[in-house]
Amino acid sequence: MFTNKTKGLLLTGIVALAMTSCGDKHNDSGTEFAPNMYHSVGYEPLSQTDGDTNTINPHGMNMRLPVKGTVPRKYYGQEAKSDSIDGDLLQMELISRNIKSGDMASSEALLTNPYEPTESNLEAGKAQYERFCMHCHGETGKGDGAVAKMYKGVPVYSSDALKTLNDGHIYHTITHGKGRMWAHGSQISSADRWKIVLYVHQLQQQ
Amino acid sequence: MFCNKTIMITMKRLKIVALMAVLGFFASVVSVKAQDPAEGEQIFKNNCTSCHAATDEVVIGPGLKGIGQRRPIDWLVKWVHNPQAVIASGDKYAVDLFNKYNKTQMSAFPSLSEGQIKSVVAYIDAQAAAAPAPAADGAAPAAGAAPAEGSSNGGMMQYIMVALLLIMVLVLIALLSIVSSLSKLASISPDAAEAQNVPLLKRLAENGKKLAANSAFKTGAALLITLLIGKATIDAAYGVGIHQGYAPEQPIQFSHKLHAGQYQINCNYCHTGVYKGKGANIPSANICMNCHNSIKRESPEIQKIYRSLEKDEPIQWVRVHNLPDLAYFNHSQHTNVGGLECSNCHGDIAKMEVVQQRSTLTMGWCIDCHRKTDVNTKGNAYYDKLVELHSKDHKEPLKVQNIGGLECSKCHY
Repeated sequence: MFTNKTKGLLLTGIVALAMTSCGDKHNDSGTEFAPNMYHSVGYEPLSQTDGDTNTINPHGMNMRLPVKGTVPRKYYGQEAKSDSIDGDLLQMELISRNIKSGDMASSEALLTNPYEPTESNLEAGKAQYERFCMHCHGETGKGDGAVAKMYKGVPVYSSDALKTLNDGHIYHTITHGKGRMWAHGSQISSADRWKIVLYVHQLQQQ
Repeated sequence: MFCNKTIMITMKRLKIVALMAVLGFFASVVSVKAQDPAEGEQIFKNNCTSCHAATDEVVIGPGLKGIGQRRPIDWLVKWVHNPQAVIASGDKYAVDLFNKYNKTQMSAFPSLSEGQIKSVVAYIDAQAAAAPAPAADGAAPAAGAAPAEGSSNGGMMQYIMVALLLIMVLVLIALLSIVSSLSKLASISPDAAEAQNVPLLKRLAENGKKLAANSAFKTGAALLITLLIGKATIDAAYGVGIHQGYAPEQPIQFSHKLHAGQYQINCNYCHTGVYKGKGANIPSANICMNCHNSIKRESPEIQKIYRSLEKDEPIQWVRVHNLPDLAYFNHSQHTNVGGLECSNCHGDIAKMEVVQQRSTLTMGWCIDCHRKTDVNTKGNAYYDKLVELHSKDHKEPLKVQNIGGLECSKCHY
């Protein structure tokens, strides 16, 4: 059926394929054509280059924590007046940052939500709730999220003990944690936390 | 008169008796309700489950299995209404309990009535009695499900077996041909009389020379070498600057399949910058600790997080997606403004045990998407004028390429 020539051709082809097709490549990012155009000259956060590690910062990291006591740029030169939503937010921010993590009572007494429960704010709150809370607290705040079964101790928002909790209490809980829940202040901006508070109020009634 | 008086007294008595009867009836209803496990379940789930389990498992506070036998009901009522007062009164059991659970104060529930607390106890007792039964029920469907799963696996296995068989046959052919050529190489030419005495190496050399002189063998060898070099060149050329399939080993064997898939934790929970900034961010160890303060504490992989926190050293995750610095990319523009899903570019991360770069991240890949994708203009006033202008001349919706998505300087500057 095959001539010797075609047999030989086929065989060499198979051998060539077999010798080049397998390789452990998952740990190798491959050849770079122009590395000096690929790797940033300036310090990029989270960038990671062999032989190009940052020698100034500890652990060769490019990112550093802000200096203690410094104010984020977006608040620079702003006043805590309550004539705009930004002013309200800043005022609440200044108060809440001076409340210690164990001092729930002060949060309850001093903090109020700068956002009105408008439709768009509630929708934004729901979106944030779904990203940061739902996997434990469940879709409707019944404490039945997928993680809750494993983590345990997730309460029901609409229970007698929780259904009347006010803005400050919920905000404090997200920021500093409560009971089994740990602090989430580092993950969610204060504006988004207040929007979540709006949506949690809605779930308390369900 | 006298008669009237006696009637009035009897009337009064009757009234009292009737009142007593009514009260008694209510009391009996209340007491029946007080022992109602169904009501207890409702109260327990609403108020207690965040800290207590109905079994003997410790959540935050002790497991409540057998609480009715462990403590008298009067004590329980006092405790639930105001635990702080019971501890302050110097009650030994209460103080020991307080110390045993890291001096964590239980919340007071003054609104729960004695009857309601009894119902909760009834519910816990009922749970304890019913506990073994559901376990037996649960075992049956699990056993039934196993064979079905096995058969679905069987189909896949057949394909794999056939493929393996094919490969084995090919390998066998290759091996046989190698053996035949090698035996030819070592063979003795029959016309040499003293062939038996020639040492093997010499025989090999002689036969090798003969083979090298054979033109068919020469072309074969040349062909093999050309093919090998050719394929290696093409492979390398296609792979230049493309990291598709890159799945580096990470310092901790973190599974996205478990976290994002099974437990449905949103990407944003850990990658906090994905809707706000250029980079999506790699979570710091404190975010891991939100769950792993109590989950899987003994696992050697989780212990790495604890070590990192103790030494205040960051975990050095290996970056998977390395877009070259010559191209600018911003996550928030695509996720927050454009409304794209993470999986559009990153593939089905929720099914990946080890994260792998799925897309090529080449310029052609970017451009292709910018040509096809409609701009997410809904509810975004920024685009109103652009949409208006665009719809004057075009019937098709506004695409990314229409607002400069193909301009060089959009990404390269």
